[in-house]
Amino acid sequence: MPANATTIIAQGLTKQFDSFTAVDGVDFKVRRGEIFGFLGPNGSGKTTTIRMMLGLLQPTAGSVEVLGVNVIKDPGDIRQRIGYMSQRFSLYNDLTVRQNLVFSGRAYGLGNQELEERLRFVVRLSGLEGRENARTRDLAGGWRQRLALGAAILHQPEIVFLDEPTAGVDPLSRRAFWELLYQLSAQQVTIFVTTHYMDEAEHCHHLAFIQRGKIIAHGSPEQIKAEMMSGDVLEIEPQDATCTVEALRSAQARGELPVLEVTLYGSLVHVIAPQVDQHLGAINATLTAADCRVANMTIIEPSLEDVFIASMREEQI
Amino acid sequence: MWKRIARVNALVIKEFIHLRSDWWLPAFMLIGGAMELLLIGWATSRPITNLPMLVLDQDRSPQSRKLIIALENTETFNLDTQVEDMQTIHDRLERGQINAALIIPPDFDQQLTAADGQAALQLLLNGAESMAATNALRATEGLVRELGLGITLKRLGMEADDLSGFDPSLRVWFNEKLSEALYTTPAELGLMLEFTILLFAALTFSREKELGTLESLLVTPFSSLEIIIGKSIPVILVSFADFLILLAMVHFAFEVPIRGSLPLLLLLTLIYMLAVLGIGLVISIISSNQHQAFLLVMIVGFVDLMFTGYAAPVESMPAFLQLVAQVVPSHHWMAILRGIALKGADLSALWPNVLALVILGLVIGTVSLRFVRRALE
Repeated sequence: MPANATTIIAQGLTKQFDSFTAVDGVDFKVRRGEIFGFLGPNGSGKTTTIRMMLGLLQPTAGSVEVLGVNVIKDPGDIRQRIGYMSQRFSLYNDLTVRQNLVFSGRAYGLGNQELEERLRFVVRLSGLEGRENARTRDLAGGWRQRLALGAAILHQPEIVFLDEPTAGVDPLSRRAFWELLYQLSAQQVTIFVTTHYMDEAEHCHHLAFIQRGKIIAHGSPEQIKAEMMSGDVLEIEPQDATCTVEALRSAQARGELPVLEVTLYGSLVHVIAPQVDQHLGAINATLTAADCRVANMTIIEPSLEDVFIASMREEQI
Repeated sequence: MWKRIARVNALVIKEFIHLRSDWWLPAFMLIGGAMELLLIGWATSRPITNLPMLVLDQDRSPQSRKLIIALENTETFNLDTQVEDMQTIHDRLERGQINAALIIPPDFDQQLTAADGQAALQLLLNGAESMAATNALRATEGLVRELGLGITLKRLGMEADDLSGFDPSLRVWFNEKLSEALYTTPAELGLMLEFTILLFAALTFSREKELGTLESLLVTPFSSLEIIIGKSIPVILVSFADFLILLAMVHFAFEVPIRGSLPLLLLLTLIYMLAVLGIGLVISIISSNQHQAFLLVMIVGFVDLMFTGYAAPVESMPAFLQLVAQVVPSHHWMAILRGIALKGADLSALWPNVLALVILGLVIGTVSLRFVRRALE
């Protein structure tokens, strides 16, 4: 398969449960070797889409082709060539690290020698050397996620499907997990990953935003920021964040400030507005009037979180 | 083909690891089953004795005393108290402290000795405990009949030797000592086998559903048939080992004979196990967690139990239920077990049950296999 070839094509993919439409006419293409991020809030249809792509769920309408195979018709034909890590922990808790990996390897028909080689590779990759005989249930969350990924790539699949792989894992382990994904991607493995962490979305080559079953934006993170952001972001470093947010929001509500959004961003405050540089004076005046002191103010590159919140807001309006 | 066998083998190994880490479940089924068998066997291996009984003797004559002593000698009753009034009898019966009460009327001796006397006795039984009541009635009836015969002879002025009447010679086949244990322990064994397979089979898929691992298993190259075979082999092996141990126990501890062919019994047991396995797998695939599966096993198991003849003989059930019994595998298997073990029967006698079991095994096996395969795909 040539580089940049398309590995997944979904067209008009739709799933209805009774009267509820979980996935509504979704179209996307995934290229070989890219990390494709499927981004959306809980219940937006991410898992349903993955399950249809794996042939676990029959779509109501539309088609999906994975590695040139019509998954709806012949779900069995792609199993040897894909790996899957489900939202819930997909390994057996009462088996040891090694037993889990051996079972995965045998399930994909690996012979003894190949199995041992891959096992060593995966154990090293997930940093579990020396813990091969530990019960899986005794591993901390981050290790278990890496082991689950290891089990999913043991048979060297061409595509890996990851459904919220880092949910409930600490930031350091998340970083380590994404390092592994980069390594895989560099080896031309296609990665389809769902997440609702915005910082993770920044790491993807290509993104699709899904909301209430519909894709509302897609493209590279840069494209999405450029296309969807109808304003600039002013980052304020206040002494009292609550005071700052309240003062700016009430000014916005009174119509004194033409800003789109005021959000708390950790201990910082983000103000989103078109041509925010022209309103710096008004913002300063508002904050002084409310007696909120500000240490620093800078116009910054919008993050995906800013974009996401801004676009969700537009959806609601 | 080799790849398939290797895959199934990997699944079998995995299932055995689960069983080892949940070792208490097979251990519970085996030890619990063995204890149940021992209890049932011992409790039912002795004749019924020591039923608590009260006597209200309003006559207080030599004749009434003779009757009471004779009753005591049957050993069926425990007659340590005599009471003076009906109220006590009434109270004790109501509280379940006694199973029977005998009331001897004031003119008992008089009626007995008069040439045309009509002696009467009143026996009150606690029908709420029907088994005890039946035995009390049987013992009293036997005693009274003997007594009546004595009176008749006396009134005719004859000695017992002068009258050679009808003397029935009783012989019980297949269970010469009429030991209840020979009846109850095979039934209990059947019950244990059924519940063991049902439970282990019912947990196979429901456990993976509950843990969320079934979905991951389904996206691997395992075919649905391979998954079913791989998950069934450990269930069959463990249940069969369980059965062999319990059968040996019944045989050695309660002297339940195996008069017929043991290989035939084992072969037919395997066929029976496949039918029950099919039912268990269907339960497993329709349950979304282990609790649901467990409750369904209880329902199916106890309904089945009714048709093994454990609680009441199927022959005395209403016609409709007798018809239902014909499609319950355990009904036929129990008949085969009793036939081979107690009667030494072979295929020429057992063929209707064997045929029914084989047909049921095939039908249930095929239908459940299809059902589970479709559910997995």
